[in-house]
Amino acid sequence: MVAVRGGSTTPRRLPGVEGVWVFVAADMSFFALLFVSFMLGRQDAVEVYEASRQTLDVNFGGINTLILLTSSWLVVLAVEAVKRNELKNVPHLIAGAFLLGAAFKVSKALEYGGKIKAGITMLSNDFYMYYFTLTGIHLLHVFGGNILLIVLWNKARARQFTKDNCVVLECGATYWHMVDLLWIVLFPLLYLLR
Amino acid sequence: MNTNTPAVDYGTWKMLAWTGPVFFIGFFIMWGLLADNFPPMAASTSAQDMWQHYKDLQTEITIGMSVCMVLGSCYMTFGAAVSRVMRRIEGQEGMLANVEMMGATITYCPIVVACGIWLTCAIQIDTLSPDMAQFCYRLGWMIIDLAYMVTSWQIIAAAIVFLRDKREKKLVPAWVSWWGFVTVASFFPVSLIPFFETGPFAFNGMFNFWIAFPTWYVWIVSMSIFIIKAVGRIEIEDGAAQPKETAVRGGSAVASH
Amino acid sequence: MNTAMTRHITTMVWLFLMAATIATTWWLSKDGFSPIVGTVAIFAIAAFKVRLVLLHFMELKHAPLPWRLIFEAWVLLATAAIVGIYLSTTPVAVA
Repeated sequence: MVAVRGGSTTPRRLPGVEGVWVFVAADMSFFALLFVSFMLGRQDAVEVYEASRQTLDVNFGGINTLILLTSSWLVVLAVEAVKRNELKNVPHLIAGAFLLGAAFKVSKALEYGGKIKAGITMLSNDFYMYYFTLTGIHLLHVFGGNILLIVLWNKARARQFTKDNCVVLECGATYWHMVDLLWIVLFPLLYLLR
Repeated sequence: MNTNTPAVDYGTWKMLAWTGPVFFIGFFIMWGLLADNFPPMAASTSAQDMWQHYKDLQTEITIGMSVCMVLGSCYMTFGAAVSRVMRRIEGQEGMLANVEMMGATITYCPIVVACGIWLTCAIQIDTLSPDMAQFCYRLGWMIIDLAYMVTSWQIIAAAIVFLRDKREKKLVPAWVSWWGFVTVASFFPVSLIPFFETGPFAFNGMFNFWIAFPTWYVWIVSMSIFIIKAVGRIEIEDGAAQPKETAVRGGSAVASH
Repeated sequence: MNTAMTRHITTMVWLFLMAATIATTWWLSKDGFSPIVGTVAIFAIAAFKVRLVLLHFMELKHAPLPWRLIFEAWVLLATAAIVGIYLSTTPVAVA
């Protein structure tokens, strides 16, 4: 298939392998169902949800969004650099993405710590159940992504990625962008929706 | 064919592969429909209502669970068939084929224990207190659900090996392997079931029942289908059988072997 | 498309995403906006951000159309469901 508009003749293609996209689509659907579940739960107990929401610190949520967006951006730059065969900076870009992922986890630990110190857990009420479980499941994805970024970093340092051999990098990038994308929705859902 | 290597018993292999469908069809009917676990009774049901559930469905649960305890073993035999296909890809020294077989075999354990508990609850219901009925029902769910990691190892091992298949047309298509990763991902939130009696993470909840179980089920069904096909394809690769088209055209291909 | 331009677009997208995040987090969420206006605007922006990530970061812009449509549909459905349920929920009485 060839893109007609704009006169571009680049064939349309999906980055990485199709399987990753099957995984990403399924994972995103699970999250979408949980978003709906959260909204329906909220419908039955607006006061509780709103009062609990106000105890969350939007600074954490906002800064975490900025962290993940930047991390994602570095990964895009890494993929683009590989495609130009400019391999020198690729490991640095991936390392930067990894460090930002780690920063997200530190920030999350601080945030969870504060809540737990205040005696709030996922058992406190339904809002906090969603808050802890949704962010927790998302955090597991961040852990998975960070492990992936270490693998990609090692491969990049070994100069294993080239213009014609970057499927693994593209797969990892696709997953990491999904983690970013889910947080873009999760953050307003839990912290800002009033 | 090399006469030094023992002949492969394709008949037994195919039979074992067919125990996959026996498992998923049998379980759906006996566990899901007959014993009324589909959809399951809510985790938040009162002890009295749980007792009544077992009282009302005593015969159905007794039959359903005792059949399931027998049928559950088919997950092991299915796992053995999968393991052999994996061995063809990763070679004799491969470890993941072992992990897959162990994973499938041990998956049977929580199934048989949980079904045994639900069975005993049903046959004893007249002498059990409502609290005991509730205890039994929840005990079964905790065991069957929280054993998910052993099944995850099975699924991960299979996914990795089948993705490494170098055949132009893989024995098991890549999407089945990737669906395996989806299944494993959907299992992790199951760890939340001890904490919630309501909501998506209760054992009857939107996520931990309606997503985690059907996702796994789809994996079992698709894996079964492709394993049955794979055994047939391996038989052809080995030269022990001919592709259907060749068979029609004539037997000359056999002579060359 | 030349590569310098691609690089340029990626960075522009990132800058926009950062700016949009700052606007929603520290401005639109404040009490100066009524909850309904603020919330709907925040989700419209979130949907747009997700779409930018899908199209530019995940390269769906150059993917086969069915794949692109599946993910565009996700954005549409998820946003519609969240905003729809939000609007049909009786808001908290301001007392």
